[in-house]
This record gives sequence, structure tokens and C-alpha cells, in this order.
Amino acid sequence: MPKLALPRLTFWRGVLLAILAAGTYATFLRVFKGLAGSTNLTDAFPWGLWIGFDILCGVALAAGGFTISATVYIFNLEKFRPIVRPAILTAFLGYVLVVVALLFDLGRPWNVWHPLVMWNPHSVMFEVGWCVTLYTTVLALEFSPVVFERFKMTKTLHVLHVIMPILVVLGVLLSTLHQSSLGSFYLIVPTKLHALWYSPLLPVYFFLTALTLGCAMTIVESFLSNRAFGKELDMELLVPLGRVALLILGVTAVIRFADFRHRGILGLPFAPTYESRLFLAEMIIGVLAPAVLLALPKVRQHRTGLFLSALLIVMGVVMNRLNVSITGMERSSGEIYVPAFTEIAITLSVVGVGFLVFALAVKYLPVFPEHEMKDARPPVAPDALHVAAQPIRSLPMPAIAVVALAFVAAGALGADGVRRREVVPGPPAPAGTPALAAALASFEAPAERTFPQAPDSPGPVSFRHASHVDASAPDCLSCHGNSYSFLGRTQAPPAGLMHDTKHCGGCHDGTSAFSVEDDCAACHKSE
Amino acid sequence: MLNTTAKGLLLDTTRCIGCGACALACKERNGLPKTSDAVLEDKLSDKTFSTVNQVGNRYVRRMCMHCATPSCASACPVAALEKTAAGPVIYHESKCMGCRYCMIACPFGIPKYEWEKKAPLVRKCDLCADRLAKGLKTACATACPTGATTFGDREALVAEARARFAANPGRYREHIYGFEEVGGTSVLLISDAKPEELGYPAGLDETPPPHLTWRVLNIIPDIVMTGAVLLGGIYWIRNRRDEVDAAEGHHDASTKGH
Ligand code: SF4
Ligand code: SF4
Repeated sequence: MPKLALPRLTFWRGVLLAILAAGTYATFLRVFKGLAGSTNLTDAFPWGLWIGFDILCGVALAAGGFTISATVYIFNLEKFRPIVRPAILTAFLGYVLVVVALLFDLGRPWNVWHPLVMWNPHSVMFEVGWCVTLYTTVLALEFSPVVFERFKMTKTLHVLHVIMPILVVLGVLLSTLHQSSLGSFYLIVPTKLHALWYSPLLPVYFFLTALTLGCAMTIVESFLSNRAFGKELDMELLVPLGRVALLILGVTAVIRFADFRHRGILGLPFAPTYESRLFLAEMIIGVLAPAVLLALPKVRQHRTGLFLSALLIVMGVVMNRLNVSITGMERSSGEIYVPAFTEIAITLSVVGVGFLVFALAVKYLPVFPEHEMKDARPPVAPDALHVAAQPIRSLPMPAIAVVALAFVAAGALGADGVRRREVVPGPPAPAGTPALAAALASFEAPAERTFPQAPDSPGPVSFRHASHVDASAPDCLSCHGNSYSFLGRTQAPPAGLMHDTKHCGGCHDGTSAFSVEDDCAACHKSE
Repeated sequence: MLNTTAKGLLLDTTRCIGCGACALACKERNGLPKTSDAVLEDKLSDKTFSTVNQVGNRYVRRMCMHCATPSCASACPVAALEKTAAGPVIYHESKCMGCRYCMIACPFGIPKYEWEKKAPLVRKCDLCADRLAKGLKTACATACPTGATTFGDREALVAEARARFAANPGRYREHIYGFEEVGGTSVLLISDAKPEELGYPAGLDETPPPHLTWRVLNIIPDIVMTGAVLLGGIYWIRNRRDEVDAAEGHHDASTKGH
């Protein structure tokens, strides 16, 4: 049993505390000040960081769960079994956090369950809602043996063992569907999403990048677990994952090239625009640099080299999702979106809570089964002698150069892109003031209206627009803007009150127009 | 597709005098507060569902187009938005969960959100669905004194637009915006200017945007079935090999034993 003691305040714990404090304050703002008081979202830009990062990236980053469980259970590659649990745990936590983040973003979070009962099978979001709900359940079941093991519930374990293949197949199918469907979200906006990212192949891209990310995340998590918990996986497992990631990167790049060629926009990435710069930065960080690195066997088999390549892939996918949801949507919205402090604080908190829960789970549950681990050590801060990571300087020079170049190039492109960021107005409208002659020719004053007659009135009154409106410059609002309804909803003035200043008497006061006291027959028709 | 009796509006910028009657009548019907001192300065918002603004040398109305195949309704995960047979695209507010996908999806940027509220709703024009049900015209068409906003059956409005083209040669750029755009809309626009000069989105395809999504959603059952068989098959083959290996291993061992 771990001893009860106050955890030491290390640097990262301090950072986490600060983030969570900011997140708590942001949550307070979100709850009590609404979306207006806690986000920079507007009618023109209704989806921001919470959708772009917390949802789109969050789901993608959890893709390790289905890639690894498919590898082990379906392809029966037993040697990957030690990664299954951490991968499934990360995925499960990822999805739970995605749902939590969604609650922040929804205008009416208490209705979050509506898609489960109010169906619209034509909606991609309806499909994603169902998939995510089901998949989170599947993940919980896939992970549950870990909990049951802890409490030695053998019967339940046996049942789970029997249905596991079904669960895994289901999980893989559900993941394939919703990972790609997050891309399908944007199929409906061909005129709003920038051509660099809008493609009929959006779902294919989202699926393939999620697969690559599944491999990359497993590598990254394994590396970080080593740093944090002294638990680490065999390089023999991680290197093939790097190879698979490289393969999918290549396939995706070829498909993208063909797609761009087919749509005749091969030159578009080199246009001097904000979008093109950020697109190139995304390609360099997420595709080009990791592909070069992983293609070099010396880098692939190097702990830190492999980690760096995987990290680049992760960053690339994050850039991709943000480009689709933010960069690519800005021009058509006519607005520039910068997330508010609160949006950033919530996002960081969600990530922080993820790390925290993962750490607790690793500590108290058999997530990394000890006997299957290589280099397993008690969870202490890594000491200088036993850091599994190989120093960066032991990487081959070209690899270091590639990483450095990629960051410099992407940084420069990004900076130049942001400098070019601007709202481009549509084509100017023809100048001048409206020429109304032709339009006025079709002006037609509304029909006459007869008012009820009071007992002592000399005769009924009809209101004629024709005699009250200057047909060469009608000013409807001088009356209708104030007391008079457009829709005949206001009652005719009560008989006997017509002369008061709220009605005819308002203008017919002897100054603006002849007075209501002047000539009765002017308005009241006798007989 | 639009049925022939679906109601709609014909907006004609060449007839508009910018009096603002439509915009104020809309506020009156929807019980919306005043949002600016000059009606012509109003922008679409959660408190303004219909505007008439001066765009260059013309007055131009903006409102929901009441698409025949609305992107907003297709996007909404809970079917809170619905195209009715009578023409209007209406909103069932009790269903809405506030995801704002409708706002992303609408090609005309119409749905607006009550960002300030704690239980916000999406707000937009509903083509006066309640008035239509009573046989009345929309509020805006009732108030318009020039025929710049004309109410009627969509088919009749198309005919009316063509009649105006024929009767006034040279007055119009002879294109009915909304006749084919995004698969057709119940609100049609005619003018002497191009849509982009009026601030309307140009280059809209005649394929309704929802079809781009449906095409993909339609193949999901196929993906699921193929995928299930494929994955199941791989599982069976990969794991059967183990069983066979195990059995053979056992066999070998037993023969050796004898
Ligand atoms: S114009 Fe926009 S809000 Fe109106 S029906 Fe079409 S998609 Fe929906
Ligand atoms: S905001 Fe409401 S109406 Fe709009 S898509 Fe989401 S649930 Fe539907």
C-alpha cells in the first residue's frame, strides 16, 4: 500500500495547479456569464477552440485505443498486448474528457442526451453522437477487466474474456465511423471551408490521420510513461508502430496529391495567403519531417528519434484539425477569431485533468502489468543514471537537422501567415445612392381604412393612405415606426378618442396639419 | 423537392425604396426589441430576423432563404429545424441542445445565437409560419408598399419574376437567385446586380449541400457490414491459426510420448 503523504510540489504539479485554478475560474465564468461572457465566439464564428481542439483533436488523439486493440485482438499480434491497457485507458479518458468539454461548448448542455432520442439520421453530428456514446461504453467494458482484476472478480472476468472479440470488432467499427465522420462535419460547407482543406475526401483524410495518430500517440505515451512512472515498453514494439505510421503517412500524402491534382489546386499551397502558409506549416510538421525521420532506420530505432517523429505527427494532426476548424473557416466568416483566455484555460484544464487521472490510474490499477514490462521500475522521478531516453545528440546529424529545419520553416511560415491574416471583404458594391425613380413607380399606398363611429360623431371616418403619404418620398416609419401597427394588430382607436394626441390629434393640431377642431366634414363623411 | 403549393417570397431590389417597413413589420410580428435608431443600419442578429440595408446604390433585404433542402435542418443532430410542406423552415426550440452546427452549415449565414443568455436559443426567420397557417401573408410582404417583397406560391413567384423580366427589358440581370442555388429556395431574389454585389454568396452549386453529406452517410451501412465481416474474418483466421498450432503442438507432444 502506498503511504499516505502530502505529494511533493514539483514544477509540473505547480503548473497543473495553476492551470486547474484558471480552469475553475473559467468554469465559473462559463456558468454564470454564459457563452458571451466566456468565449470569443460570435454569430459569424460559432465554433472555436473548444470544438477545434477539445473535440476534433481530443477524439483523434484517443485513436490509439482502437488501433492497438485491433492489432492485438483481431490481428492477434500478441507481442503488442502490453500496450493494450494503457492505450485503452488513454482512449477512454480521452472520450470522457471530450464529452466534458462538449458540455462547456453546448449552449444547452442539459440537453446533451437529445440526439439519443430525437433522431435525425441525415445529420453527421447525430451519427457521431451515437458512435461516441457507444464507443465510450465499449471502451469502458474493454478496460473493465483491469478493475475487476484489482478486486479479483473472476466470474465477471471470464464473461468479459469471452465477449472481448465482439467488443473489439464493435469498437474498431465505431471508431472508423466517427473518426472519419468528424471530417464529414465539414462536407456540408463547400463554400465556407477553404479549398486547401475542403475536399470530398475529408472523411478519408480524417480517418487516415487518426490511424497515423493512433500509432504516434502510443509511442509518445510510452515514452512519457517512462519519464513519469519509470514504466516503458520494448522498442521492439514501438519501432514497427513507427513503420506503420510512416506507411499511412505515405498513403495519405499520395491520396492528397492526387486529390489536389484532380481539383486543379496543386499551386494553391504556394499562394501568398494566410491559409497557404499555415497549410504548408501543417504539411512540414505533420507529414514531411516525420516521414523523413521515420524513413531513416537509425532514427526509427533510436528512442528519442522515434519519440520526436511521433511527436511531430501528433503536432501535425493537431495543426490539421485547427486549420480545418479555425484557419479554413475564417475567410468566409469575414471575422478573425482568437480564443478568449477562458477558452484556453478550459482547454488546458481538460488536458491537465486527463494527465492527472491517467497518473492515478497507473498508480492504483494494474494498467502496466509488471511482469510484462521491460525496465519496470518503482514509480520514482527518473534519476540521471537511469533515464531510458537516449540523448538527442546521439541522433545522426541529418535527423537533428531535419527536426530543426522543420521547426524553423514551420515557425517562419506560421509567422508570415499570421502577418497576412486579414479579413477580405467581398467585391465592392457599386457606389452611389439608390436611384429610386423606377422603384417608386411601383409604390402603391395601402387601402382605405374606416374607423368605428362614436355615438356623438358627425359621421364615419376613413383613413386614406393616398392623402397622407407623399408618393414621391413615402416615409412609412414616421407613423408605423411609432404608434401604428403594420399588421393591423393594434385595435382601431376607441370611438371618441380619435381627436387625442395619440391618434389623429397628434398631427392634426393646427400646426403640422389642419386641426381636428376645424372642419368636421373634412374627415367625417355625413350620411 | 419543393411542392408546387409551397409558399415563398420574391424579393426585387429594383423595386425597393428602403422604407424599412418589412424590417419593422418583422420586429412587430416577432415581438423583437428595437436594435438601432435607424432601421436601415440593423444587422441580422438574435433580435433581428430580417434586414434591409443600403448596399452601394441599392437597398437589399436579408433573411432566411427557406431552402428546399435546408443545410441547417440536415445538420441539426436533433431535428430541431424542419422544412415544412407549406414552405417555412421552422425551429423546435425545446429540442435544441445548442451545438450551433446549423450556424456552421447554413450557406447564407442566417441562424443567429443568443450568446448573452444562460439558456440560449437559435433565432431566425420562420417565414411567419403561424400567419401562413391562417392564410395570411408574411408580415414583411404585408407591409411592403412597392412589391419589392411579394408573397405567393413559389411557382407563381417564378412566373412573376419572369413576367417582370419580360415586361422590363434591360431592367434586370435575368437570373432568379434561389431558383437553382443550393437546390432551390423558397425565397427568391431578382435584381439588376450580381448576387455578390448585393452581399449574397455567389457560386453556389445547384446540388443541395446536404446531399454531399448524405452520399457519405448512405454508405455507412455498407462500411459496417463489410467491416464487420472483414474484421471478424481476420480475427477468425488469425486466432484459428493459433488453435491449429496449439492442437498440432499437442499432437506432436503426445506422439513423442509414445
Ligand atoms: S437559409 Fe440557412 S437557415 Fe434558412 S433554411 Fe437555408 S440553410 Fe436554413
Ligand atoms: S444549435 Fe440547436 S438547432 Fe442548431 S444544429 Fe444544434 S441542436 Fe440543432
